[in-house]
Amino acid sequence: MSEEATDKKRWIVGAELPSLDRTLSQEKIDRYARASGDFNPIHVDPTFAARTPFGGTIAHGMLLLAYLSEMLTAAFGRAWLSGGRLKARFKGAARPGDVVTVQGRVQRVEGERTACSVECLNQGDEILVAGEAELRL
Amino acid sequence: MTKAIEALEKGHQLGATSFVLDEEAVVHYLEAVEDQALPRLAQAEGKAWVPPMVVAAFALRSLMEEMALPVGSIHVSQELEFVRPVEVNEQITCRAWLSQRSQRAGWWILAVAMEGVDESTRPVLAGRSTVMVPQ
Repeated sequence: MSEEATDKKRWIVGAELPSLDRTLSQEKIDRYARASGDFNPIHVDPTFAARTPFGGTIAHGMLLLAYLSEMLTAAFGRAWLSGGRLKARFKGAARPGDVVTVQGRVQRVEGERTACSVECLNQGDEILVAGEAELRL
Repeated sequence: MTKAIEALEKGHQLGATSFVLDEEAVVHYLEAVEDQALPRLAQAEGKAWVPPMVVAAFALRSLMEEMALPVGSIHVSQELEFVRPVEVNEQITCRAWLSQRSQRAGWWILAVAMEGVDESTRPVLAGRSTVMVPQ
């Protein structure tokens, strides 16, 4: 088990998870499409996406969840991979050029279960993803 | 196989889908999502683990393709539970079923529940995706 996951005392209510920033680009979105096989034109076809209500391409929601997962892996190690749960709502679109900040905070500690609020924000502090992650430490 | 949404009733079983994530696919995924934490953890533990979200992404992609969701569909929420780490070259089989279908203000609201198992049929992940589909 990782050093982080065994350090239970670190994760008291209110503790902040290690945040991370990711700058999106169309090239990164295209790379994710190739890696995941999701070539929905809303993500990879700027001409098509310009005619939609979004007005341009947007990042895959699962790419944002991958960023959340990286933060949770860094914070909790194997405990996230074995028994981790995530409930997330997609609240806003992430676009090329956006700087996505991923952050979280411990909300509850009940026995072995630790619950954290997690979110992805853009550079304007608009919430792109909000949710809760729960795991057993 | 694709089906019109009107023909999909709550409880409808989607076809099972299987996939194997080999090392090349995992490397491409890790580069795409810029994940540094999983490789560090896997190396520390001497494991060839697959990032949990790539398993979920592959499962969801296959299932959504089968439903043939039209352009304009919006992925509104996602629930996931990772039962255990998946290793490179493991075969994962996912089955899914429609757990909710409702209509509101010109949209279909569909929830698809999903379960992924390994070759011994032990669960490795579960999830629930909610999408809004224009009518």
